[in-house]
Amino acid sequence: MMERAMEQLNVQLNRLTRSLRRARTVELPEDNETAVYTLMPMVMADQHRSVSELLLNSKFDVNYAFGRVKRSLLHIAANCGSVECLVLLLKRGANPNYQDISGCTPLHLAARNGQKKCMGKLLEYNADVNICNNEGLTAIHWLAVNGRTELLHDLVQHVSNVDVEDAMGQTALHVACQNGHKTTVLCLLDSGADINRPNVSGATPLYFACSHGQRDTAQILLSRGAKYLPDKNGITPLDLCVQGGYGETCEILIQHHSRLFQTLIQMTQNDGIKENMLRQVLEHVSQQSDSHYQKILTSLAEVATTNGHKLLSLSSSYEAQMKSLLRIVRIFCHVFRLGPSSPNNGNDMGYNGNKTPRNQVFKPLELLWHSLDEWLVLISTELERSRKNPSSFSSSSEIASLLLKQREGDNAMTELPSLLEADGEDVISMTANRLSAVIQAFYMCCSCQMPQGMTSPRFIEFVCKHDEVLKCFVTRNPKIIFNHFHFLLECPELMSRFMHIIKGQPFKDRSEWFYEHLLSGQPDSDMVHRPVNENDILLIHRDSIFRSSCEMVSKSTNEKLKQGIAVRFHGEEGMGQGVVREWFDILSGEIINPDYALFTQSADGTTFQPNSNSSVNPDHLNYFRFAGQILGLALYHRQLVNIYFTRSFYKHILGIPVNYQDVSSIDPEYAKNLQWILDNDISDLGLELTFSVETDVFGAMEEVPLKPGGTSILVTQDNKAEYVQLVTELRMTRAIQPQINAFLQGFHTFIPPSLIQLFDEYELELLLSGMPEIDVQDWCRNTEYTSGYDPQEPVIQWFWEVVKSLTQEERVLLLQFVTGSSRVPHGGFAYLMGGSGLQKFTIAAVPYTSNLLPTSSTCINMLKLPEYPSKEVLKDRLLVALHCGSYGYAMA
Amino acid sequence: MSETYDFLFKFLVIGSAGTGKSCLLHQFIENKFKQDSNHTIGVEFGSRVVNVGGKTVKLQIWDTAGQERFRSVTRSYYRGAAGALLVYDITSRETYNALTNWLTDARTLASPNIVIILCGNKKDLDADREVTFLEASRFAQENELMFLETSALTGENVEEGFLKCARTILNKIDSGELDPERMGSGIQYGDASLRQLRQPRGTTTQNKQQCNC
Repeated sequence: MMERAMEQLNVQLNRLTRSLRRARTVELPEDNETAVYTLMPMVMADQHRSVSELLLNSKFDVNYAFGRVKRSLLHIAANCGSVECLVLLLKRGANPNYQDISGCTPLHLAARNGQKKCMGKLLEYNADVNICNNEGLTAIHWLAVNGRTELLHDLVQHVSNVDVEDAMGQTALHVACQNGHKTTVLCLLDSGADINRPNVSGATPLYFACSHGQRDTAQILLSRGAKYLPDKNGITPLDLCVQGGYGETCEILIQHHSRLFQTLIQMTQNDGIKENMLRQVLEHVSQQSDSHYQKILTSLAEVATTNGHKLLSLSSSYEAQMKSLLRIVRIFCHVFRLGPSSPNNGNDMGYNGNKTPRNQVFKPLELLWHSLDEWLVLISTELERSRKNPSSFSSSSEIASLLLKQREGDNAMTELPSLLEADGEDVISMTANRLSAVIQAFYMCCSCQMPQGMTSPRFIEFVCKHDEVLKCFVTRNPKIIFNHFHFLLECPELMSRFMHIIKGQPFKDRSEWFYEHLLSGQPDSDMVHRPVNENDILLIHRDSIFRSSCEMVSKSTNEKLKQGIAVRFHGEEGMGQGVVREWFDILSGEIINPDYALFTQSADGTTFQPNSNSSVNPDHLNYFRFAGQILGLALYHRQLVNIYFTRSFYKHILGIPVNYQDVSSIDPEYAKNLQWILDNDISDLGLELTFSVETDVFGAMEEVPLKPGGTSILVTQDNKAEYVQLVTELRMTRAIQPQINAFLQGFHTFIPPSLIQLFDEYELELLLSGMPEIDVQDWCRNTEYTSGYDPQEPVIQWFWEVVKSLTQEERVLLLQFVTGSSRVPHGGFAYLMGGSGLQKFTIAAVPYTSNLLPTSSTCINMLKLPEYPSKEVLKDRLLVALHCGSYGYAMA
Repeated sequence: MSETYDFLFKFLVIGSAGTGKSCLLHQFIENKFKQDSNHTIGVEFGSRVVNVGGKTVKLQIWDTAGQERFRSVTRSYYRGAAGALLVYDITSRETYNALTNWLTDARTLASPNIVIILCGNKKDLDADREVTFLEASRFAQENELMFLETSALTGENVEEGFLKCARTILNKIDSGELDPERMGSGIQYGDASLRQLRQPRGTTTQNKQQCNC
């Protein structure tokens, strides 16, 4: 009894010491669930001795499935590559084909994780390689996904069907192709995999390779005879390559199926394909060899020609054909500009007389240009005919009526019901848009053969030849200018022909066009505010903002500044658009700081213009150039500046001549005198003025002629207008010419002169300084009335009702019309300045005569408002004045 | 995604004003008579994929204005046409007399190899006939043209006219007389030839293909 107890104790003691020494239990718990969690970590670490020891004498079921996914320990061993444990478990009767909840066998897991030894052992124990999991994946799928060629090579010998499909009908070859595992693909093919096997949606291995741009894999498949098959939706491998922009893979496809080349070219007509991807592919293919380059461009030119002709066919969809044509031509020009693959090839071309020169690729397009030319000639003939014989043509439908006449004489046609109403639209309005789009394409093709910034003489000649017809197009439909006549912005010589029509278009349309074109030179317009490289950040000192900005800007390049601006103030963390805005705001305020003597205040105290005495600062012209750069840069990036210039200086920026009324901004009294000379007959006054003025040059009076020999030319009633103009230019322009020139030099680095011409001086102010918020109540409160008006007058009541109904833009126009500036002073209308101190907005009565427009005297902020008989007439006349007023004072 | 065909042929429809060119095209494409047909302005466009001799061919058809004042515009479309329908009106001798001019235009401006079929249209107006069948067919023979009398109103021979022209071009390609790869031949390969050759057995396209035989 005692002995037995001792023995028992010994056993327990023994167990205890063993357990303590190993720091784990030495006996497996009886229930499987607890036991399996004891064993699992040991299996994972492949502690096979411990496992073996624990399993010895235990009743544990080695096939016990546990956990959420119901795996056995054999799964765990296979998954972790615990080969010793795996063998141990197999020896103890673990089922090698046991499937977990997702249907995976230990072999699946070993294959997935590339556990080579485990796989070998499992196979030794007759694991079935053909078992599919619930998704239909077998061990070879797992090996193929991860490109484990070596393992696959071993396994595939045991596989009964190498083309076993998963639930999507995908074989191992499909997944290997998708992931571009070349050796795996070769191994599968060598093992007899079906190279053309479609999955459930009809996608073949080649399709998979193409969908992910696996060039080498596609190459292997094609050289092994893979067929070129679309999926069940008709999507082809080529479609996939183009969608993904996989140029190299496309190239391989074309190498094997030369006719796909045409298909690729035809894709340029397909609206559903992303242009940049297709362009990328064509670029790549064109760079393969010189003959590829020629062939692609020639084919594109042919497709463009067909599309152009379709566009000129009146029953086609204008919108779709126009887009298609322009897309093809854009791609064409892009590929053309890239040039042939190597410069050497280019040299060979010159050397080897057999090769066609580069420009040969434009030849197919000549057909289209020829048709375009013939069309324009036809229309010109029609215009000519209708002008010679206006009575026989109805105003809206020259050709329709012509058709009618011909039809009357045509007996055969009288049989048909005559539905001339369908012809009611005239040919010009039916074709103008279409022809204009072809002209746009023509321009693109002409200019891509020219060096940057030069207009092709051929195109200039073309526009000159068809000048009349083109003007007729845009007069009837000015939208054509914005939609298709982009060439105007690049060719000032052509722009001048259309300027009067363009200026008549809404400000909004013109500014959209302006920005569209301004940024079109940028590589990618989305990138305008891309994050900037640390070295490109402008580091500005707040306490010397002007000088440090000048320094930083001059260190940077114009190209970088165009791409984006990032500003950081010294010692501050902040970056981003807010800081950029602040910088422009403070800096522009600093530019007009009197300490620098660059700009002087005008008489009204709120607007500025260059200081004729700025040379007190020896570096002044450099600073003017800098000021011009800042203004240009602000406009380029749509940042507003906190400066308002005089009307005359805006005109200088635009290159518009100044007139005598502009003088009032710097010398209102003198402006009144000029006005007086113009308004009165000066013949008998004995003024004895000559075309010269006396000026004070460093203390000495000097006679300055206004024109050659001016000191001896008398001013008369007949030539007084010229005198006023010349004296205005002297005061306004010649006195500050060097400053203006330096400013413009800076400004034009960012804003081409041809673009800014789209605007007048009022609009330029809005572009630079923004549209102010106008508080109509404040405006109304701070308005004075004179010459018989008082606030109770019906006309005044109507006036304010009309102002309230105006758009924000129109109110600004009104403010500009009366005060000369869009600026509302700080503190509101109470602080509105005139030529001689505070000068409130004033409305003066003028006797009404029919059609009389309101006028204004900007130096005294006065609106001269006729006593209109009704609110409607008032509104109508006011709007006419506002919209025409911006053409200049000539109208007022 | 893209239309499939073996070849694309560029076709012209030419002839004097009022002979029914647009109506022929409309009948061919829409299978009905165009009631409210006006004079064509410039050049109109239509296309249809047809089956000829087991090949699918896309016909890209340029329907030109017959009026003299559009002549220089329409001429600029001739180059690179593979086939043409030369149309006159059997009830108008004037349109028949003009055929020589049209023919010269086509052969000089398009290509000397252009395949032309002469179509005497308005066959349904037999009572008003001014040009006999015999006379016109002699003219066709002398000038190596194919010849049909058609009616855009009833649709008689319209399909035949286009198909006959297409078939002749295909034969010339087979015999090597025409080289589709040559620039300005008015012929292009589509990618269908490739697909059909390699279409696996048992797919729907294959079945369709068998029906066509």
